[in-house]
Amino acid sequence: MTDRSRNKFTRRAILKSATALGAMGLVPPWLAGRAYAAGETLRAGITGYNVINTFDPGRATLIPEFYVIWAIFNGLMKFDAKMNVVPDLAESFKVADNGTLEVRLRPGVKFQDGSALTADDVKFTIERISDEKFASPNRSKVQAIDRIDIVDPLTVRLATKEPFAPLLTFLANARTGTQILPRAALKAMGDDAFGKKPIGTGAWSVKDWRPGERVTLAAFDGYFGGKPKLAQVDVPLIAEESSGVTALLGGQIDLTSTAPFADVPDLMKKPELVVLKQAGLNCRFVQLNHRKPPFDDPVFRRAVSMAFDREAIVKAVLFGEGVPSAGLIPPSIEYAYGGNKRPLCTYDPAKAKAELARSKYPNGAEGVVLTWAQSWWKRSGEVFVGMVNQTLGTRLVLEVTDANTVFSRLKAGDFQASIWGWLGFIDADEYTYDIVHTKGWRNFAGYSNPKLDALLEQGRREINRDKRGAVYKAAENMMIEDMPILPLFCSNVHNLMTKKVHGFAQLPYSNYGDQFAGMTIG
Amino acid sequence: MGLIRYSAFRLAGMVATVLVGCVVVFLVMKAAPGDPALSILGESAHPEAIAAFRHKHNLDAPVLQQMANWFAGALRGDLGRSLTIAGGVPISELIAQKLPNTLFIGVFAVILAVIVSLVIGTIAALYRGRMADTVATSMAVLGISMPDFWLSYMLVFAFALGLGWFPSYGFVSPLDSLSGAFHSGLLPAVAVAAPMAAVYARTLRTALLGIAHQEYVTAARSFGFRPMFVFIHWVFRNALIPYVTIIGLQVRYILGGVVVIERIFGVPGVGSLMVDAGFARDYPVVMACTVVFLVIVLLVNFAVDVACSALDPRRTR
Repeated sequence: MTDRSRNKFTRRAILKSATALGAMGLVPPWLAGRAYAAGETLRAGITGYNVINTFDPGRATLIPEFYVIWAIFNGLMKFDAKMNVVPDLAESFKVADNGTLEVRLRPGVKFQDGSALTADDVKFTIERISDEKFASPNRSKVQAIDRIDIVDPLTVRLATKEPFAPLLTFLANARTGTQILPRAALKAMGDDAFGKKPIGTGAWSVKDWRPGERVTLAAFDGYFGGKPKLAQVDVPLIAEESSGVTALLGGQIDLTSTAPFADVPDLMKKPELVVLKQAGLNCRFVQLNHRKPPFDDPVFRRAVSMAFDREAIVKAVLFGEGVPSAGLIPPSIEYAYGGNKRPLCTYDPAKAKAELARSKYPNGAEGVVLTWAQSWWKRSGEVFVGMVNQTLGTRLVLEVTDANTVFSRLKAGDFQASIWGWLGFIDADEYTYDIVHTKGWRNFAGYSNPKLDALLEQGRREINRDKRGAVYKAAENMMIEDMPILPLFCSNVHNLMTKKVHGFAQLPYSNYGDQFAGMTIG
Repeated sequence: MGLIRYSAFRLAGMVATVLVGCVVVFLVMKAAPGDPALSILGESAHPEAIAAFRHKHNLDAPVLQQMANWFAGALRGDLGRSLTIAGGVPISELIAQKLPNTLFIGVFAVILAVIVSLVIGTIAALYRGRMADTVATSMAVLGISMPDFWLSYMLVFAFALGLGWFPSYGFVSPLDSLSGAFHSGLLPAVAVAAPMAAVYARTLRTALLGIAHQEYVTAARSFGFRPMFVFIHWVFRNALIPYVTIIGLQVRYILGGVVVIERIFGVPGVGSLMVDAGFARDYPVVMACTVVFLVIVLLVNFAVDVACSALDPRRTR
């Protein structure tokens, strides 16, 4: 036996010192190191998404990218609580009869690097995303702009070839990509660096970004709208919506950008939470391919449209958090919304069978409906296929794959039908022209109706809002006769927050970062 | 066969495995439908923009050439930049951020699982057939049968939302704060450890019971040593060999099999990175994660082999 007492490095000694060191590490820094501890910081979680590739509005495509961009930048315009277009960076604006937009900028607006906003920055921003070589995904928003004239350092004139009604909404601080950028700073940094460390006119700048994990925003004291009341906003990217709920309930975050439909009824009963909800700006439908049977026949399409119950899908799949639709334009675009009571989109098995008998495929038509496994996309497909097969005796089959594959196949025309939809668009034109006009780039169906095309082009030119609304209502009535796509529903948007959060106004296009500047906690 | 030759053989084998693994993953990824250009260019992607993107990132070259380019880069140490999930960020940076999280939770979970299974497995073997054994075995069965997402949410509801001892979401990186990592990482580590502890405990119990009947154990007892002494030095020591082997085999689980747990607790790990990259068709990130996984698994297996041969009392001095 060795004489243990002589050996200083006994097992006991080592264990004791290790424990002591470990205990030291567990004291005060322990509290500071707590995941997402509360304080002078708003913790606004983005739930359901976790990919952000860039903060450059000219390159942004994904919803979480825009959530943060809205905090860093401003557009010439923005939306008020009633979804009217109001000036943001603009002080005032005038729309001439020929559609030319003249914007007078607010004086004294500074970018986050201290430089002043001028009309030249507006010109630069629009030219940049118009440039074919830059290949901005948001180019379509400014394609109508023909000429940009700088009248004086604070006044800019945007001319279009013919009047273009969506122009004002396309210049808003929404999912448009037209947020105003600083020419000098961007040229100095280069596009790639700017996308990671952007400089805008908004109330927040990017302090830290961990891909797939979180974004940290620091307040910009020189914000033209007034210094934000909070010093910092942490934006964790929470891929699982339900984890967002537990994070909120556990006090790790203060605000979420969505809520799982199934949980909304229970969450509304919790006294410590505030649940905001309203009909969102989105459209969900069954995308059809007119180049392949069986959906190449409009009579068959109409039969299928009457063969399932949209109300049942909203109740069963969305837990009531939505509105059945009979068209593409959502209810929140009030002036153009045509209601959801069209007979061709109402569940009527007798009429459906009668219509089927007149169609090219009266007996057991086969077809594959694509969808992907995320939340309600798959469930909607299941209910849709199940009901249609039951009512009409068709043999439709649901094929569950992933979103990227479905999108590729839609673009390639390699499909018969698919559950599909769009979220966050703000103008009636986006919901119609792009999807059902012959030249619409979201027209995966290959649908072409020259009379409808003419109406949609007229809708683009009509500046008067009420007249414009009438055009779109007529257009949807005409479109539904052909049933190019099968409308499903428009889902609600949700935000959850604790009772300590104040100053968040929810808008139907699913806004987020634009609200941070006016918010407080406590 | 000297140690050097053996190590050289093992090293060559590992390199070959990594090469073959990378080739297979690359080809499978390319064969899957879907297009990274659509992921990043979005819905309004014009055909020219898509073509430009594909050309810029060499996606229109023949598949074998793309693979050769990737290997050439990897051998230089350049794992490339993310295409579609962290636009342009060097992948080595992504992995450097996320690997410590995965390793921390993994090692934490293994330590928890080892401690628990040593206790449960030994008790089950010593008190075989009696109440303690039944309880321990039932706990093991429970541990294997519980779905990981269910257990994760139960832990959140009980210990985070209920008792408030731990955060309900979010993980503090060990590089930021070690104590924060322990605090926020305990629940995820427990969720990861539960099925592992069950497997380890069962393995240990079976090994202990099997060895207890061996002739050399009877011989040792016949020397007059106390039963506990025999148990520790003859039975337990030899049972460690299959036990350590099983621990090594489970390492692939803590790397890539805990994506669900990572998602629920918000642990930004390499498994989630690979899954997100897969869905977004971010080929370079998937390949980089493949290399990382393969290298770690192979190194751990090698370490296990060394440990087992060290533990084996039959090896020559």
